[in-house]
Amino acid sequence: MSETLLDVQNLTMKFGGLIAIDDLSFSAKKDHITSIIGPNGAGKTTVFNCLTGFYKATAGSMYLSKNNNKMDLKKFSDFKVAQKAGVARTFQNIRLFPQMSVLENMMVAQHNKLMTASGFSILGLINSKSYLQKEKEAMEISKYWLDIIGLTNRADDNAGDLPYGDQRKLEIVRAMCIEPHLLCLDEPAAGLNAKESAELNKLLKFIKNDKKTGILLIEHDMSVVMGISDHVVVLNYGKKIFEGTAKQTKNSPEVIEAYLGTED
Amino acid sequence: MGKDLIQKSLKDSLFTGIIALALFGPIVGLRTVAKNEVLVVEPKWFIVLLIVAFCAIGRFFINIYSYKKEQRRGEPSSLGKAISNFLDEKGAQIAIAAIAFSIIFPFMPFADRYWMDIAIMMMTYIMLGWGLNIVIGLAGLLDLGYVAFYAVGAYSYALFAIHFGWSFWICLPIAGLFAGMFGILLGFPVLRLRGDYLAIVTLAFGEMIRILLLNWYELTKGPDGLTGIPRPSFFGLPFKRYPDEGVETFHTFFGLEYDPMQRIIFLYYLILVLALITNAFTIKIRRLPVGRAWEALREDEIACKSLGVNPRNTKLTAFAIGAMFGGFAGSFFATRQAFISPESFTFIESAIIVAIVVLGGMGSQTGVVLSTIFLIGLIEVFRDFESYRMVAFGGAMVLIMIFRPRGILAKRKPTITMGKHG
Repeated sequence: MSETLLDVQNLTMKFGGLIAIDDLSFSAKKDHITSIIGPNGAGKTTVFNCLTGFYKATAGSMYLSKNNNKMDLKKFSDFKVAQKAGVARTFQNIRLFPQMSVLENMMVAQHNKLMTASGFSILGLINSKSYLQKEKEAMEISKYWLDIIGLTNRADDNAGDLPYGDQRKLEIVRAMCIEPHLLCLDEPAAGLNAKESAELNKLLKFIKNDKKTGILLIEHDMSVVMGISDHVVVLNYGKKIFEGTAKQTKNSPEVIEAYLGTED
Repeated sequence: MGKDLIQKSLKDSLFTGIIALALFGPIVGLRTVAKNEVLVVEPKWFIVLLIVAFCAIGRFFINIYSYKKEQRRGEPSSLGKAISNFLDEKGAQIAIAAIAFSIIFPFMPFADRYWMDIAIMMMTYIMLGWGLNIVIGLAGLLDLGYVAFYAVGAYSYALFAIHFGWSFWICLPIAGLFAGMFGILLGFPVLRLRGDYLAIVTLAFGEMIRILLLNWYELTKGPDGLTGIPRPSFFGLPFKRYPDEGVETFHTFFGLEYDPMQRIIFLYYLILVLALITNAFTIKIRRLPVGRAWEALREDEIACKSLGVNPRNTKLTAFAIGAMFGGFAGSFFATRQAFISPESFTFIESAIIVAIVVLGGMGSQTGVVLSTIFLIGLIEVFRDFESYRMVAFGGAMVLIMIFRPRGILAKRKPTITMGKHG
């Protein structure tokens, strides 16, 4: 059994009178892929937005275990979740920097590290050796990840010019550049064909096994969910209706009911 | 081609003619003339007819022509594309040639006082354009109140120079610092605003500064303006025909004849150096993490946040640095004019600088130079035609927007490439 990475307790998010997430508790383990599934409007993306600081949760707690100490994610607002807690995310509709090159996208992801190295631009302006060294290291990291997704030869092209599937993969490895503890992926397989989906599975398994990064996954594509998830949380109307392994989920009557409705 | 097209074009040109008639009929056709101390309307239908005919026939030919062009579509033939490709290939050589030309420019035979004044003015606009390019072109923050920082720089230079008698080289950084601080002051309230809303607030900020300068009489002398701003000296050597007792001047120190052009040439080189510093700084900082963060922020702020980039600090540095260069340019303006008043810092100045940046191609340093030469040059060429100047200015903008909708030089070069580092 591996240790718990993310512990969410009694998370509630209200928008006025609308309860988007209702008293949700679940946990995600390190070196696990935890999937959150559910019909449209079940509140999956809202969970992500709470976790990554885009929304402030109405109630509940979210703790991330990082090097044996627990960090309260509620303390961090928007960009600090990524900067301080090491929670990275991707978006349902891809959010790359389309007019910037693939490599630049990867470099922006390493901004905080490079910013410190550039002495808040002062050392960078005078071309200090230590900064150039750090910049080179960041290039190496970018190249490492681009090699993995096979985009090194397109590194200098605009990210917006890449095919859709490559943009998806680029967004994931860009998120990996911040060296996260937890990677939250919002429908990474949306719009991918079968071959691209299979490649995505491989990439996610690599991140889980070789990079020891916990993955939280929202997905509608069941071939992805069933193929790689270690743990599945099913939401409906903001409530958790089921939690278990992929196989258990597939056979759960509650889940089938939520997706297909009941027989009269 | 065929009947169909001609018929359509005829219909279209008829419609154009009607619009032209509706517009020009009352504006041009009906003229009031004073006759026997009474105003009488005197119709000028012939001129209206000429204008309407011109519009209609012009429209007809544009239709026919654009049809032909449609047939040729697919061939990369646009002139603008050729220019930008040429600039891409020979960019470095052209830049060196342009800088060399700017250096020898004052010694050209035709470079008289008039040309030097235009050159100085253009150089000031280029510098302002480069400064604003950081805010608009890189960080994507549409700032319509840039002239405020120009004003802050000019006034802080003037006040420090008049009241404390400090030299240009001390006041210049102070003016830049003040302008930068105002940049941050503007930056804070507009952090959450984007696009149109940001544009409106910055516009208001520009006006606020101008009105403040107009009304704070004790400090700024209001509409009277500040006079007697010290002229710059050549590292302590003043440009004066009759120096004060015991003070060495530029021409006595170098053993030259006194010539008022010496000061003008010095001012020219001063603004050239300031502008080139702005350019070099921008080119360099664009390749640093903060510069890349500016561009990333322009592309997608939410993605930036998800990667841990601090949008507040990033925006504020863009505002502050952009404003600082505006302040430098402002202090140059103050020392050159020796007189400043709020009149010089109206909204139209902001609009011209924004036009220079946008028409040049957002983020393109060379584009700023080209569009400055084009726009300011055009305004100068049409100086004798008085009220038609602005028509030409507007026409030029429309033309650029038709043929180069993303600016003269729209192509963006990556700040870092894999090829270079392997």
